[in-house]
Amino acid sequence: MSVEFKTVLTPPPHVKSALDVPQVMTHVFLALLPATFWGMAFFGYRLTLGPIVLSLLSCLGFEALDCFLFRKPLSLGDRSALVTGLLLGLSFPPGVPFWLPIVGGGTAIILGKQMFGGLGQNIFNPALVGRAVLFLSWPGLMSTYVVRNVWTLSKSGEVVSSLWEVVTTATPLGISKMQGYQALAHLEPRILWRLFWGTVPGCIGEISAFLLLCGFAYLLWRKIVRWDIPVFYFLGIALVAVLARQNPLYHLLAGSAILGGCFMATDYTTSPMTPKGRMIFGFFAGMITGMIRWLGGYQEGVTFGILIMNAVVPFLDRLLPRRFGVKKI
Amino acid sequence: MKLRTFPQGVFLSPAKELTAHRSIVEIGSPPKVVLPLWQHTGAPLEPLVKRGDVVKKGQKVADVEAFIAAPLHASISGKVTAIEEWWHPSMGKFRAIVIENDGQEEVERREPLPKDIENLDSLFLRKWIREGGMVGLGGAAFPTHVKVSPPAGKIIDTVILNGAECEPYLTCDHRVMVERPDTVLLGLRILVRACGAKRAYIGIEENKEECLTLFAKLVKYMSIPTEVVPLATKYPQGSEKQIILAILGREVPPGGLPLDVGVVVNNVQTASAIGRMAEEGMPLVERVITVSGECIQTPGNLEVPLGTVLEGIVAFCGGFVKTPQKIIMGGPMTGIAQSSLQVPVIKGTSGFLFFSRPYEKKEYPCIRCGRCVDGCPMFLLPYHLARLAEFQAFLEAEEHRVLDCMECGVCSYVCPAGIPLTQFIKLAKAEIIRRKKGGVTR
Ligand code: SF4
Ligand code: SF4
Repeated sequence: MSVEFKTVLTPPPHVKSALDVPQVMTHVFLALLPATFWGMAFFGYRLTLGPIVLSLLSCLGFEALDCFLFRKPLSLGDRSALVTGLLLGLSFPPGVPFWLPIVGGGTAIILGKQMFGGLGQNIFNPALVGRAVLFLSWPGLMSTYVVRNVWTLSKSGEVVSSLWEVVTTATPLGISKMQGYQALAHLEPRILWRLFWGTVPGCIGEISAFLLLCGFAYLLWRKIVRWDIPVFYFLGIALVAVLARQNPLYHLLAGSAILGGCFMATDYTTSPMTPKGRMIFGFFAGMITGMIRWLGGYQEGVTFGILIMNAVVPFLDRLLPRRFGVKKI
Repeated sequence: MKLRTFPQGVFLSPAKELTAHRSIVEIGSPPKVVLPLWQHTGAPLEPLVKRGDVVKKGQKVADVEAFIAAPLHASISGKVTAIEEWWHPSMGKFRAIVIENDGQEEVERREPLPKDIENLDSLFLRKWIREGGMVGLGGAAFPTHVKVSPPAGKIIDTVILNGAECEPYLTCDHRVMVERPDTVLLGLRILVRACGAKRAYIGIEENKEECLTLFAKLVKYMSIPTEVVPLATKYPQGSEKQIILAILGREVPPGGLPLDVGVVVNNVQTASAIGRMAEEGMPLVERVITVSGECIQTPGNLEVPLGTVLEGIVAFCGGFVKTPQKIIMGGPMTGIAQSSLQVPVIKGTSGFLFFSRPYEKKEYPCIRCGRCVDGCPMFLLPYHLARLAEFQAFLEAEEHRVLDCMECGVCSYVCPAGIPLTQFIKLAKAEIIRRKKGGVTR
C-alpha cells in the first residue's frame, strides 16, 4: 500500500472528556442567571442593571488590560472573568453609584486573581476579595439597602426617590442583629417564606433562596460542583445558630449564605482538592460565618467566613488521601 | 443483578457497537511475518535460528535463560530471511526475526495435554505454559508462567479470569468469550491447577450480557468452585488491582503483585490460548485482535498470526475510507500511537484503531477542579504529581506515591484543562526508576 499520510504521535489517552474550562465557567454563569433576573425584576432594572453590567465589563476589561500590560496571551477565552464579574455584581446592594462596580471589578481581577498568577493560581476567591475591599473602604455605600416601598420591613423608610418609589430599609439580618430575631418575626411573621422566595431587601443576587438553589441543582445535575462544601457549610452555620439559640433555618436563608455556600465556597481554585479537606473547609467556613453574625461587629459574615478558610486551603491540600493497598489503622 | 466495582474511576462511552457483533475471522497465513525479540514484560530473547533456516509453524525460534521471559514460536512455515531492526509498536525499532512464507504449511505440534488436568503436576504445567510462550494477552504481556509460580511462602487461593475489557472500542475478548467459551474454561482449569488455587471467578462487565449468561450456565460444570461476577461498566475495571478489589475486596499493597494477596489474574484470551494449546498442541502463534475506528472500511475481530504487519491487516479490512490522522495499537486510553503501517502484531496487541481526528483538547491552566483526584483509581493527587514532575521535584513526587500510578490515563481523560497529567507522571516515574537503577542520589 503506497498511501502516504502523516499520523499524529501523542501520548495516551487518545480520547478526552468533552468538558473544558470555558464550558465549566458557562455552566456556573447560567446557573446564576435565574437569581440575577429575579434581582433585576424585584428591585427594578434601573437600580440593578448598572451594577451588574458594569461589574462584568470591569472584570473583563481589567483582565484584558493586565494581559496587555504584562504581554501575556489574552486569557478572556477561559470565561472565568465572566463568573467573577457576575458574582461581584450580584453582591452589590441595588442602586450603588456607577464607579463602585468598576473599582470592585478591578480589585477582584487584579488584586484577587492576576497578581497571584492568573486562573487557578489565586488563594482567595476574586469576587469575595472585591467585595471585601469595597466593604471595608466604603462601608456606608455597601450597606445602604433600598427596596420598593411595599416590600420594606421596617416602618422608618426614608424615601429616596418618589419616581422610583424606593425607600432605604434595613435587611432582615440587620434587624435581627439590632433587635433580635423575635422582633423581626414580630414585624413580619412570614419572614422565612419571604426569604425563601426572595421578597426581602438585600443584595441584588442574594435574595431568592429558591432560585439560587435551582441554579445549584443545575450545577449538581451537570456534575460541575459537588454537594459536600455547601452541605458542610450549612451545617456549620446551623450549628452556631443553635448554640446562639437562634433559628438555624433563618440563618441558612438570610443574607448571602446560599449564594456564598453554593457558588463562592465551591469555587474550584480556592477550595480544597480532597473530600476530607472539603468537609473541613465547608464546615469551618460556615462556623466562622455564623460566629461573625452572632458575636461579630457585622450583620453578615459570609464574605469573611469564606475568605478566612480560603487561606487555609493550601494546608488542607496537604492531607493526602488514604493510600491504595494500605488499610487505615 | 448486583454489580461489583472499585472506587473512583470514570464512565467512558464504550464505542464497541462497530465490532461487538462481528464474529472472529481468520485472516490466514500472510506472505511474511516479523517477530520482534521483545514482546513481553521481562528480558529480551535471543534467536535460536539464523538467516536461511527453514522453520515450521509452531517451532521455537527464540528464547532466553531468564525466568521472567517467554519464548517465541514461528507463526508460519517458511524461511528466515533476516534478523534485523524492525518497527516495533511500543519501542520504536527493535531486533526481529523476519520469516518469508514458503507455502508449505508445515507445522510442529506438541502432544495435546491429557484430559484429567486435575491430576497433572503443577510444576509440569508451569513449564508447559512457559514452553507455549504464554503471556498476558490483555496488553501488558506479562509471562503467564511467572504469574502462576508463587514464590516460597506465598499461597495462591484464587484465580480471576479478566473478561472486563474496559477499554472502549475493543471487542476481541468479548468475541473470544462468546465463540470459544469451552476453550476459555479449559484454560482456566489449567491455570487453577498450575498455581494450586482453590476457587475461581470470572469478572465480566455488565455491558457484555451474552457472555454473562453464557458463562453462568457453563461454570456449573466446572470441577472447582467458579463464580461469574457481573462488574460495573467503568474504566479501568479490567486493571488487575481494580478487578481484585471489585471481586474479592482485597487491595494489592503498594509496589506489590496480585500474588501478595493470594490472587492470580489472567485475561480470558490468555486462558483461551492455553486451552487451545492443550487441545491442539500449538503454542501461542496467533491471537484475536479488534480492528476499528471510523477510517477502516470493514471493522472487525480478526484472528491473526503473530508478526503479521499492519499493512496486510489494513488490506484485509478493505483499506481506508478516510485518511487516518491517528493510528493506535491497543485501546484509546492506554494504547500507543503508531507512525508506520510496517509494525507487526505482537503478543500484547489487542487491536488497531484508526481515527480521522487526533482528539486533542485545548490546554488551560489547572483550575483545581479536583476531577483528577476524584477519578484516580489509585487515590493519588494527579494535579500535584504532574506539577512536581514539571518542576523535577522527583524526591517529593516519590513521597507523594508517584510510583503507585498505573498509568491508566483517567486523570488526563477527565481534566477540563486538557493537561497531559498521565504523561507528566509517567516521565517522573521513569526518571525515579532510572535514578534508582543507576544508584544516583541527590
Ligand atoms: S494515570 Fe496514574 S495518576 Fe492518573 S488516574 Fe491513573 S493511576 Fe491515577
Ligand atoms: S482535573 Fe485538571 S484542572 Fe482539574 S484539578 Fe486535575 S489537573 Fe487541575
